Amino acid sequence: MTALVARGLELRRGPRTVLAGVDVAVRPGELVLLAGRNGAGKSTLLRVLLGVERPAAGQVVLHDRAIGSWPAAARARALAFVPQDTETPFEFTGRELVAMGRHPHRRPGAGLAPDDFAAIDRALAAVDAERFADRSVTTLSGGEQRRIAVARALATEAPLLLLDEPTSNLDLEHALQLVGLLERLARAGRGILVASHDLNLLGARCDRAVLLHDGRVYADGVPTEALADANVAIVFGVAAKPAQGFFPRDYRLPEGVTPDLLR
Amino acid sequence: MSEPLRWWHWLLLPAVLAAALLHLGTGDGPSLAAVLAQWLAPGGNPADAIDQYIVLQIRLPRLVVALCGGAALAMAGTVMQASFRNPLAAPDLVGTAAGAALGGVLAVVSQLADESVLATPLCSLAGAGAVTWLVFALAGSHGRISVAALLLAGVALNTLVGAVTAFAVTFTFANYTASSRLLFWLMGGLDGRTWEHAGITAIGCVLFAAAIAPKARALDLLTLRDDSAYSLGVDAPRVRRWLLWCACGLTACTVANTGGIAFVGLVVPHLARLLVGPLHRRLLPFAAGLGGLLLVGSDLTCQLAPPESNLPLGVVTALLGAPYFLFLLARHRRGEAL
Repeated sequence: MTALVARGLELRRGPRTVLAGVDVAVRPGELVLLAGRNGAGKSTLLRVLLGVERPAAGQVVLHDRAIGSWPAAARARALAFVPQDTETPFEFTGRELVAMGRHPHRRPGAGLAPDDFAAIDRALAAVDAERFADRSVTTLSGGEQRRIAVARALATEAPLLLLDEPTSNLDLEHALQLVGLLERLARAGRGILVASHDLNLLGARCDRAVLLHDGRVYADGVPTEALADANVAIVFGVAAKPAQGFFPRDYRLPEGVTPDLLR
Repeated sequence: MSEPLRWWHWLLLPAVLAAALLHLGTGDGPSLAAVLAQWLAPGGNPADAIDQYIVLQIRLPRLVVALCGGAALAMAGTVMQASFRNPLAAPDLVGTAAGAALGGVLAVVSQLADESVLATPLCSLAGAGAVTWLVFALAGSHGRISVAALLLAGVALNTLVGAVTAFAVTFTFANYTASSRLLFWLMGGLDGRTWEHAGITAIGCVLFAAAIAPKARALDLLTLRDDSAYSLGVDAPRVRRWLLWCACGLTACTVANTGGIAFVGLVVPHLARLLVGPLHRRLLPFAAGLGGLLLVGSDLTCQLAPPESNLPLGVVTALLGAPYFLFLLARHRRGEAL
């Protein structure tokens, strides 16, 4: 089974230590939350895990093989990524962007095969994006663009997913829907690491939480322990209880109950 | 995945062909009908031979330079806009064309151009590569290049390189013929193009286009962030370097033979994207055709202008390009993407 394991990662940017001996692992079938203050090194850690940035020390191993030694297409089929920001200034449609997720599956010069079309449709359906998939991405809202980015990562069909703030810009319904999707993907065997500030939403739903603090892993464990009051107080400097399931797993309104009835 | 080609997309082919035939029949000498009649009835007289010389040795190389040069500049602009992830990148704004012009001027001033026909394009390539690399280094920050940084670096280097070019031209002032020829070349034009010029432009255009074509899908991915492209199996910095070298090559092989041609590299990719969308498998050939059409049309305008006006080609392309730039600005103010 594919797993992503990092040991002893160290990285400096000028005088600032970004990562200082970070150990982290993502295994098949688990949804892992990566949390920490702004500037704690979450996005940098994701880039190092992806292999796009090299650490000064330590190593990242994807399925028993150093991440840097993987052929590019094979690595892309094993490990997908959703970045934090909006991505392209050009007027691609959402569907064209999601189709880019099939790049590692296609031979040079080859068009899209029926398998590719099926994977693209499944990915769009999974994030509820079929309705706006054929619109130019520059006309979509931030949340819609985010769902397209997640769909592109899903279209790679990689068993491991790294996501950087996937719920930012999403309305509550689609945020819940996305987290539900991530849970289902994890239950189906994918390993997922989500960097997020949304502790309320993900804290109650993830299998494990990793707290980064000053470039180190401050806590790594089941959410109730890793996000315990004392840890949250030290890492974030606030008194809060984020892992208590504020959002229930079944968040949908009961059948027959419409929002109008609740007014 | 993208919209299928519409019937009117195919109009580009007959439009290019019609413009080429019109171009071939324009200028001092025989009309197109007369030339076609001669070709269809072999075995001509001495007068026919002169007409054929005008068409085959004067007009045809000029047409080849216009077609291939326009296609090359349009492809260079398309590649740069994707590589810089910036719809305002183009050989003339980024400084590539200015670098190529400086290289060409230095080749003439140092008399290297008299030694070999390849000296000017090679010096242009060196100049284009050096300036593009500098802009990239100055404007980039953590692998990202903002519109503002690109424009600032482009303006700064265009000004600097333009000043150095002007200074280099002053070394030819002792020779009036040479200096006036150089100044006209800098303004852009296709007068007096021979098969040597046409050969270099065409071979450069075909070779660099062939190098870019297999990277059409990678170009799509380069328009994403570098980490996204990397996650999909494209080593963005390495592929970008390769593609920018190809764009410099396309620019250099054109500028060395046409001088400064403004706006083609900026405007044509935009126009092509509006017509066929942003996927490069379709965008690159369409932009190439549109670029060729624009330059052939612009050269036709120069030839049809009153002879006393000496209208340079670069002035016509600038006159066509500037209003389009304003159109883009108006779109942007309405909140649409550039």
